[in-house]
Amino acid sequence: MTIDDETTDVLIAGYLSTDAAHEDYESVLGCGAHLWGAVVVSKDLKGNVTLEQSDHTVKEGAVGLGGVGLVVGLFAPPLLAATAIGAALGAVGGKALHNKIGSQVEKMAEETIPIGGAGLIVAYPHSATEKLEAAVVRSVQKVVGEAEGNHVKALKGALADAQKKLAEQSSER
Amino acid sequence: MGDVDRSQLPIRRPSYSGAVNKTLDGSQPDWNLIGHPVPPEGAPNVLLVLIDDAGFGNPSTFGGPIQTPNYTRVAEQGLRFNRFHVTALCSPTRAALLTGRNSHAVGFGSVGEFAGGFPGYSATLPRDCAPLPRILKDNGYSTAAFGKWHLTPDGQQGPAGPFDRWPNGWGFDYFYGFLGGGASQWDPCLAENQKIIGTPAEYYDTDNPYYFPDAMADRTIEWLHGVRAQDAHKPFFAYFSTGCSHAPHHVAKSWADKYQGKFDQGWDKLREETFARQKELGVIPVDTELTPRDEAFPAWVDVPDNLKAFYARQMEVYAGFSENADYNVGRVIDAIDELGELDNTLVIWIWGDNGASMEGTITGSFNELTMQNGIPLTDEMQLQLSERYGGLDQWGAAIMDPHYSAAWAWAGNTPFQWGKQVGSHLGGTRNPMVIHWPARIEGAGELRSQFTNVTDVATTILELAGIPQPDTVDGIAQEPMHGTSFAATLTDADAPEHRTQQHFETIGNRAMYKDGWWLAMKTDRIPWVLTPDALKPYAPGVWDPDAGRAELYYLPDDFSQAHDLAADYPEKVQELKDLFWEEAERYKVLPLLAAMSTFFGMVPPIPQETTFEFRGDVQNVLSGMIPRIYNRSYAITADLVVPEGGAEGVIVAEADHLGGFTLYVMDGKLTHAYSMMGVFIFKQVAEENLPTGEVTVRMEFAADEAKPATGGEVTLFVDDRPVGKGRMDHTVPIRFSGYAGMDIGRDNGGVVDLAYEDKKPFAFRGAVKKVTFDITPHLVAQDELDVHTAEQHGQAAHALSE
Repeated sequence: MTIDDETTDVLIAGYLSTDAAHEDYESVLGCGAHLWGAVVVSKDLKGNVTLEQSDHTVKEGAVGLGGVGLVVGLFAPPLLAATAIGAALGAVGGKALHNKIGSQVEKMAEETIPIGGAGLIVAYPHSATEKLEAAVVRSVQKVVGEAEGNHVKALKGALADAQKKLAEQSSER
Repeated sequence: MGDVDRSQLPIRRPSYSGAVNKTLDGSQPDWNLIGHPVPPEGAPNVLLVLIDDAGFGNPSTFGGPIQTPNYTRVAEQGLRFNRFHVTALCSPTRAALLTGRNSHAVGFGSVGEFAGGFPGYSATLPRDCAPLPRILKDNGYSTAAFGKWHLTPDGQQGPAGPFDRWPNGWGFDYFYGFLGGGASQWDPCLAENQKIIGTPAEYYDTDNPYYFPDAMADRTIEWLHGVRAQDAHKPFFAYFSTGCSHAPHHVAKSWADKYQGKFDQGWDKLREETFARQKELGVIPVDTELTPRDEAFPAWVDVPDNLKAFYARQMEVYAGFSENADYNVGRVIDAIDELGELDNTLVIWIWGDNGASMEGTITGSFNELTMQNGIPLTDEMQLQLSERYGGLDQWGAAIMDPHYSAAWAWAGNTPFQWGKQVGSHLGGTRNPMVIHWPARIEGAGELRSQFTNVTDVATTILELAGIPQPDTVDGIAQEPMHGTSFAATLTDADAPEHRTQQHFETIGNRAMYKDGWWLAMKTDRIPWVLTPDALKPYAPGVWDPDAGRAELYYLPDDFSQAHDLAADYPEKVQELKDLFWEEAERYKVLPLLAAMSTFFGMVPPIPQETTFEFRGDVQNVLSGMIPRIYNRSYAITADLVVPEGGAEGVIVAEADHLGGFTLYVMDGKLTHAYSMMGVFIFKQVAEENLPTGEVTVRMEFAADEAKPATGGEVTLFVDDRPVGKGRMDHTVPIRFSGYAGMDIGRDNGGVVDLAYEDKKPFAFRGAVKKVTFDITPHLVAQDELDVHTAEQHGQAAHALSE
């Protein structure tokens, strides 16, 4: 399967613990679905950032997920019902989209991942949705964006769509 | 002293019977001058033990799953009481226990944190109601209190007192414990007599870490030894009031692990098991029925499988915590035995002051203060936050302040309905009591079932000691105690009922007991739900308490309140309703819902002080007394002296990593860290090093809006020059901590920023000359009033959870 064959989905999930994020990350990798890639970023209580990623597209010779800015944006769990605490989410996520990753990933994560929190992004063909949903079970916030087109355009589009939905979801809270 | 008049306290010194001449020639000394009052002959020692936030179905002595061998030991040599009643809230039960009067009548219709504007809710003991320790002390007892106090108004717990509201003021010669409603068991902010002494130094000993329950027992034993070393005969009154099993549920893993797997069956099954054991033990009548689960509690089968271990661990820790309390009370009893005085020591051991607490909501929490700050978290979120702080193995360690699910509390109150705060039902009002006094008790190991109330304890102690209630104390005529003595039950299983009626009221939940009949009038609000919608039906002019549901039970035939007879006996319902109103008026229960008055706009005046100065040696400012920085813009300014080579350490810190703020210097840089209840953590670091010499640093928070939990921008300044900035999306709306204090020049106890955990208390190297808080009230008066009102709502919610 190539990334141009069907709709591309990007899932963004937020967690309050690194354990939970890594559990879902491992579950995603082991779920048997075809993936374009997955990234998990976490920040411990002392502020140290760790990043783990599985970039399946690199193996196929396509542009890596890093090239499309697939880094984790700030997540905001629905903690205070009366307060739109997720309002900043879209803006920061958007900023992330336009940043190159690689050496900048950790710097971005430092700015966007709350202390003690973690985030997961998974890119996959739409046909893998069922398996992905079964694998990502511990997130406290989750959105899925989708887009069609060639691989770079699809990935960027799906990521942008996910971030837009995340912002909408947060502002509703 | 021979015959003395004990009706007026202090006891008057006998008239001088000596003779005084110009010289010693012919003078006769009167050695009674240096004497002191002594109790009547045969007055026993008294050990009064009160366990916190526990239920009828918790201890194994009463069929529960928690092993309480020491409780059972004294029960087998003494008496079990299975119809003993308390109020459904912490402070009211304590006030009633120590005064022998109904709680509202002595100003404790609610808790110490809520000192309201109605006579029954002032949290201030009237001077015409001298408490038991004062009476015993004036009659020649040595008196001491250890552990939880919770009878001092929230804003009066500092060096300015007033100290008549502290334990010494109530008549205790010595006090070692904490003044509030709950405390960490690992790093409590303690008081000793009339001083807040903060976190014990042993907290920093990693090899032998401090643990409050152990220290309580140590201090009690040490005090007993000291008293006996001085006076071989003077009787003692020791009040041993554990922090256990109130949240935070803190205990070493080894204690919790004793219960590993013991609660995997869930709360529904646990109730059935406890109920069966209770029948087998005979602590409930054989015809008792197990009350059904209210829909407010989820069925265990509906708990997602992946969360069952999370819930089970909550109860394992609670059980280990409780068993440890039994162990430490046992140590005190052993020490008395070792002194050879156990036979003549009246041990009264009450397991719970208000039923088990449902304030953990359905999910339980890694940090009990999240609920009180109105932060709704799902059980998955709670689990993840516990993982953030070390996982379930650390549930019970200092890194968390855990509370268990309300459903576990309900199971702990087996076989009854509901629990803490629900004064209308036995789950919140009936707790086990055991009395041990080999010198006097007949029928060791027997059960007593006379209807007994917490107000009866003081009256009974006085009768057994042969001490009359005083007519006047300090010249003030005294309100007679409301309790009736149950002394006769110690020697006679068939002693007649000493109490035939009693009212109950907690947060609008009411009951009226008379001659076996119990009228229960519970509000429809679920105890742990304080949302505007939940409160709306109880607003002034809306709520008609007589129009609510009334249940009627006949307790001699229905031990657990399983059969509502209200429809069959409408006249009895009306009779008891009328009687309740009479009693409520007589004992200052009115106005109903005074404990919630702030929710309905009756808030205290907005404080006018906007500047608070702390010199560099101020430490352990209790959490209810810190500057009111919540929900507003504010600045913290510190005048420092930075030595050559640079400064390092904490300038000012409030509470800990589960809620608090800290301004400190590390790696030469001014840093501000803020924990929003351990859920969100924000940090801003200066971009340049702190200069040396006289330096003024400032942290400014500019609130976004006049709303609870408002976000805002933080700017750091050095000598008025901005050096760093950042944003805090959410701030703590109500209260950082239930117990941890604020310190200048260090961060005592658990630290706010775990980045300097290994340097704690991270005392400032250099000098902190002064720290000033400047609060900026909102410009629009209505905004300020709204924020103030919201804070008061939160404080009331916090108070109701203590």
